[in-house]
Amino acid sequence: MQDSDVHFPKDLPEALEIMRKRPGIAFFAGGTDILREQGSIGISLPPEMLFIRDLPELKRAGLTERFLEIGAAVTASELLDLGDAALPPLLAEAVRGIGTHAIRNLATIGGNLACRKRFMDSWPALSCLDGLVELRDQGGATWMNVNRLVGDDARPSVPEGGLITRVRVPLERWDAYALRKVGPRTSPTPDTAVFAFAARVEKGILTEFRIAFAGELALRSPSIESTIIGRSLPLSSRESSSIVESYRAAASFLPEGLALQFGSLVDAVLGIISG
Amino acid sequence: MTVSFILNGEDVSAKARSADRLSDFLREAFALLGPRSDCRCGHCGRCLVFLDGRLVPACLVPAFAVRGKEVVTIEGFSQTADYSDIAEGFKSAGVESCGFCAAPRIMAASALLERHPRPMPREILEYMSCAPCRCTDPEAIVRGVVAASELRARRLYRRAGQ
Repeated sequence: MQDSDVHFPKDLPEALEIMRKRPGIAFFAGGTDILREQGSIGISLPPEMLFIRDLPELKRAGLTERFLEIGAAVTASELLDLGDAALPPLLAEAVRGIGTHAIRNLATIGGNLACRKRFMDSWPALSCLDGLVELRDQGGATWMNVNRLVGDDARPSVPEGGLITRVRVPLERWDAYALRKVGPRTSPTPDTAVFAFAARVEKGILTEFRIAFAGELALRSPSIESTIIGRSLPLSSRESSSIVESYRAAASFLPEGLALQFGSLVDAVLGIISG
Repeated sequence: MTVSFILNGEDVSAKARSADRLSDFLREAFALLGPRSDCRCGHCGRCLVFLDGRLVPACLVPAFAVRGKEVVTIEGFSQTADYSDIAEGFKSAGVESCGFCAAPRIMAASALLERHPRPMPREILEYMSCAPCRCTDPEAIVRGVVAASELRARRLYRRAGQ
């Protein structure tokens, strides 16, 4: 097994300088997914790696007036330590779904979003909350909506060469939310996925309605959401059935078992908001 | 590469390959047989160690990642008063001293009590899922952790009074 060359930058500018000199270098933060996937005694890692877990700029988390801002190397446990007052409940639920307490002490929010093989626990919640990620490369910094981390084939599409440095979550009021993980949890399979939902109601009218569902493939349908926003509550059974049917049709590209579970979950959240 | 870190209170250095998991590195370079690499996916709990005070599965940590950090294994932790409180609490509650889970369970209980000195049963069961094993009834584990929390609180109270 070939030994990898691991770089330990002391801060972000040094990390960016290494990235400039060595285009294509791999990033290593929590490493939980890479090491979990390889059940072997030794681990096979890329030939060159940038160890970013201890970069001070990536370890910060805090609130501004409108956002929760999280450094990409903040671990799931550190995120939960921020407490219920700081952490949007939907995101807190998603983060609690990551592994065990011990795994959450290693897994980072950036790593959770940067996985290229599947969408991990935090993506559906951040999609519903309109989360943004900051990507840094030699050219500078770019903020992008987490929904742009989805390719045209509905698979993860994290831009090559860009380092996720921060995640920004708007602090907004949500009147209803739900998060549900389906399928095997210990070692994700194609049947593992996370469902997230958030809605806002003003004077009995749905003013926001978002559903995101993701495992190996991601589903978020702004076009269906736009047909739901503006409806009065409670929804009639005919309206509910029509919405469920629209979502079932949109989920037809998912594996059959997941599509069925997705339809049931949509049905359940419509029941919740119709009270 | 040479990895220098603090292991069970002592400054140490050893050669590691980038391919080494911390659990294997501790066994091979330092002959510490407490942490074991069984599942290599972080779920069996047999390799739990403290990394900078946080409980982590050593099989999910590459050896190079502990550079400049502090690692405590069950061998080091067993020298502490916390260990004695938990071992005694478990014994009094009839928690089996199973070869598979005894060490990781004690470490998981310590991590829990550090954060929640008076944990609720739900918190206990959640934390102890880091070291799953069928040897003991979960209710006995809850009683064991509660007993350990009382012993620990009494010890800390006595120390504060000195």
